[in-house]
Amino acid sequence: MERIAVSELRKTFTLKPGQTITVDGITSNRIAVLDGVDLTINRGEFITVVGPSGSGKSVLLDVIAGLTEATSGIATIDGLHVTKPHARTAYVFQQYALFPWRTALQNVEYALEVRGVATAERREKARYFLHLFGLKGFEDRFPSQLSGGMQQRVAIARALSTDPQVLLMDEPFAALDAQTRDILQSELLRIWEQIKTTVVFVTHSIDEAIYLADRVVVMTARPARVKEIIDIDLSRPRELDVRNSDAFNTYRGRVWESLRDEVSKAQRDWALASSYAN
Amino acid sequence: MSLTIDQSPPIRNALGFRRRSKATKAPTALSETFSTLTIGLPALIAFALLWEVAPRAGWINALFFPPLSRVLATLWEMIMSGQLGEHIGISLQRAAAGFVLAVVIAVPLGLLMGRYSLFEKASDFLVQTLRNTSQFALLPVFILVLGIGEASKIAITFYAAVFFLLINTIVGVKSADPLLIKAARSMGTSDWNMFKKVIFPSAIPSIVAGARLGVKTSLFSVIAAEMLAAQSGIGYLIQHSSLMLETDRMYAGILTLTIIGLLLNYLLVAGERRATHWHSSADSGPN
Repeated sequence: MERIAVSELRKTFTLKPGQTITVDGITSNRIAVLDGVDLTINRGEFITVVGPSGSGKSVLLDVIAGLTEATSGIATIDGLHVTKPHARTAYVFQQYALFPWRTALQNVEYALEVRGVATAERREKARYFLHLFGLKGFEDRFPSQLSGGMQQRVAIARALSTDPQVLLMDEPFAALDAQTRDILQSELLRIWEQIKTTVVFVTHSIDEAIYLADRVVVMTARPARVKEIIDIDLSRPRELDVRNSDAFNTYRGRVWESLRDEVSKAQRDWALASSYAN
Repeated sequence: MSLTIDQSPPIRNALGFRRRSKATKAPTALSETFSTLTIGLPALIAFALLWEVAPRAGWINALFFPPLSRVLATLWEMIMSGQLGEHIGISLQRAAAGFVLAVVIAVPLGLLMGRYSLFEKASDFLVQTLRNTSQFALLPVFILVLGIGEASKIAITFYAAVFFLLINTIVGVKSADPLLIKAARSMGTSDWNMFKKVIFPSAIPSIVAGARLGVKTSLFSVIAAEMLAAQSGIGYLIQHSSLMLETDRMYAGILTLTIIGLLLNYLLVAGERRATHWHSSADSGPN
């Protein structure tokens, strides 16, 4: 059942030479970002992670993706310690991360290409996933010829084309306008219902977090730990208007209550950080 | 059925299809070119007229400034006799040889230097020193070492182009978007594929821009070298005609050079657009 397990995960970054930070009277050139994160995620679960800005949510994803090494503690996928990018893990970024010199089709093909899949097979697969996201007819467009929403669809198609067991999404819809965002959330859910891969989705939006998730993970202000995990007991498949329901409203209140103190803590932190910047 | 067809363009727009269609783009580009011509041509024509009239009216010495019509007549003669083509061919050959050699050496070297910072740090001082040594100052050295023949001319054009290419390749490699590298890494890209499929394509716009500068300086350098030490080429033609006081031939040579420069620039800009057509689709089409 268990797919991802994160235990006692700590991550500290060393500041640039000459920079120091003072926390509780102790001055240091190291900054703690993750401070003992424990989290177990089940197979096929849709997990959303919310927390104040700069609380290390992305770093958590990077560790699970095998892109960053933890300072201490471990992340495992199917019981195996993650030390490098896993072939069955896919990552979707806020800024799409499409190769500008490749067409939509070639971008989706990339993930299969570096895995050594034969040309004909990967082209067919890439086409299938583009069509799944309603991008038929846009195969030969370059990213600069596509809107933000379409670019992110291409990026998600690229991620899913490798049939991932774990899909990591780092605020994938944050750069999109509200309507496009709603549409993409629903599209993602519709496709996820069919493939039921394990998703870890970082977001700033409480509504987005509740609408998508089986469980919402609330992180503390930096250095981050898991503050609370809230089960979202809304039936699936979900329609957008579930957000107007009383149950949804109750969840909204609960998540916000949990998050509120952390956000104000983080804001004090930021005020401090900006005073350093000058 | 007809409803779907009728609605298809607005739907595309709603999805944010930003590219202007060719049908609307072509006339715009054409009329732009046309208006540039109508605004720009009078000054050029005035200059040509002045060139024609001033020596004939005796305002300037016709020996030093033969009228444009005589220069053009000489130019035509030289084209027909085939001697101009010969000189052009030789100059272009020399410039091309030096430039190609520069590409072959600078691009792989630049890729390495951009990727491995230790390599760059170790060679930076040397590169900066060599780069700021004029290729013209080195011509006597090239002649001493390589002789008065083709090798010294190729060496100077190589030297002129190599640093533009090297530095632009390094900059191109370094400007590769860290997010793309991260994304590629998350997809399990091997080191070699990272180089081939991510870093190198990222560097291409910068390399092509460097090549554009390199081609120009290669050509200018070969002309200068031919003026100093050669028995053929456009540079030799200009210099020799000047010494012989055959000023109409001299101006014909200068005009030839101007025309080659203009054509080359046009070709290079077009080539640059083609190589980076994905860069910004708004002002350059895919072909």
